[in-house]
Amino acid sequence: MSATLAAPAPLRAASWSRRWSRPLKGLAGVLLLLAAWQVSVPLVGMSSYFYPSPADVIASFTELTRKGILPVYLADSLLRYLTGLTVGALLGVGVGVLIGLNRTASLALSPLFRFLFAVVEVAWIPIFVVWFGYGIKTIILALIYVVFFPVLYNTLLGVRTAPQILVNAVRSLGANRWQVLRLVILPSALPGIITGLRVGAGFAFRGLVFAEIIAAKTGIGYLIFEGTQSQQTARTIVGMIVMGLLWLAIDQFYLRPIERATIERWGLTVDAEQRT
Amino acid sequence: MLRLPALATACVLAAALLYWLAGVLGAQHKLAALEPLPPRANYAVTLAFPPERFHQLRLQDKGRVVEVRKRTVYIMDMSPAALHDVAREYWVDTIVPWAGR
Repeated sequence: MSATLAAPAPLRAASWSRRWSRPLKGLAGVLLLLAAWQVSVPLVGMSSYFYPSPADVIASFTELTRKGILPVYLADSLLRYLTGLTVGALLGVGVGVLIGLNRTASLALSPLFRFLFAVVEVAWIPIFVVWFGYGIKTIILALIYVVFFPVLYNTLLGVRTAPQILVNAVRSLGANRWQVLRLVILPSALPGIITGLRVGAGFAFRGLVFAEIIAAKTGIGYLIFEGTQSQQTARTIVGMIVMGLLWLAIDQFYLRPIERATIERWGLTVDAEQRT
Repeated sequence: MLRLPALATACVLAAALLYWLAGVLGAQHKLAALEPLPPRANYAVTLAFPPERFHQLRLQDKGRVVEVRKRTVYIMDMSPAALHDVAREYWVDTIVPWAGR
């Protein structure tokens, strides 16, 4: 029975090839870049302070791990990032739903939010430092600020584009405002919220580096800054690579699957794979 | 549908648990000879390498760092809880009592 249901061998091979060809091509690109980098070091002929080789960076990574610096910085950065992302997203969704459903709130708050959206978080960080000092409060506030606006605007879009026909249908069945919100508006807005979250999560990563450079004594952003200050450029590059890999992992293992699942469950398409 | 996030979270939690467990077991091993611990005491904490600013700042949170000589940091007035925190760090090699200045 199982033999009749199993996919034919050529089909299985094609599926395997399709599944692995993208990551393998990506890996080949990275290896090619590393090889070109390593080969270019003797050709450039500069000191490792100006132009560290991949071997220097690997040695620096090992040293930072052996000395316990990298795990602590990574944990600190992740904690700040997740806290800022969670609070910023919750606030963005809450305010987005409020503005989306309430015309008075929309009229009162929209100009203010449009103005604040234009003032980037880097401009706020010095003020936050004056108000809250150096440390975790300032960093988390900067992250909340960065995440809030993309989530807010995407939530707002989702709420305003909820199908009116479904709202009317649920109302005609006797649903109250809370039920309309829970059964129609929030599920309709969910794909937008998740898209906003993904955009905000990317912005938050940049915000984290800025905030840690200015207002922290630990964290990956601080490592990037401190590496050049102490003439250990390889450490700076380790920080940059860790930051990039961390973002790739968060996007690949969390944001993309969640977005795909949300779109498939509540969105307008059945196969969200095509969208990513 | 959300198997990948669940799996990734499980891996991260497992790694964090192993890291914590390794720290606890390491601390027990490093402090075995010092038991019972007095309420407050002075210690010489030796690292596997000369301490950087990062290590000195972390140790400063646990007591009064009064001197750094080669790989050893001399700390006064450490409580048992602070000593356990220091011993859990895998980059701490040995901890011995120190008479102080």
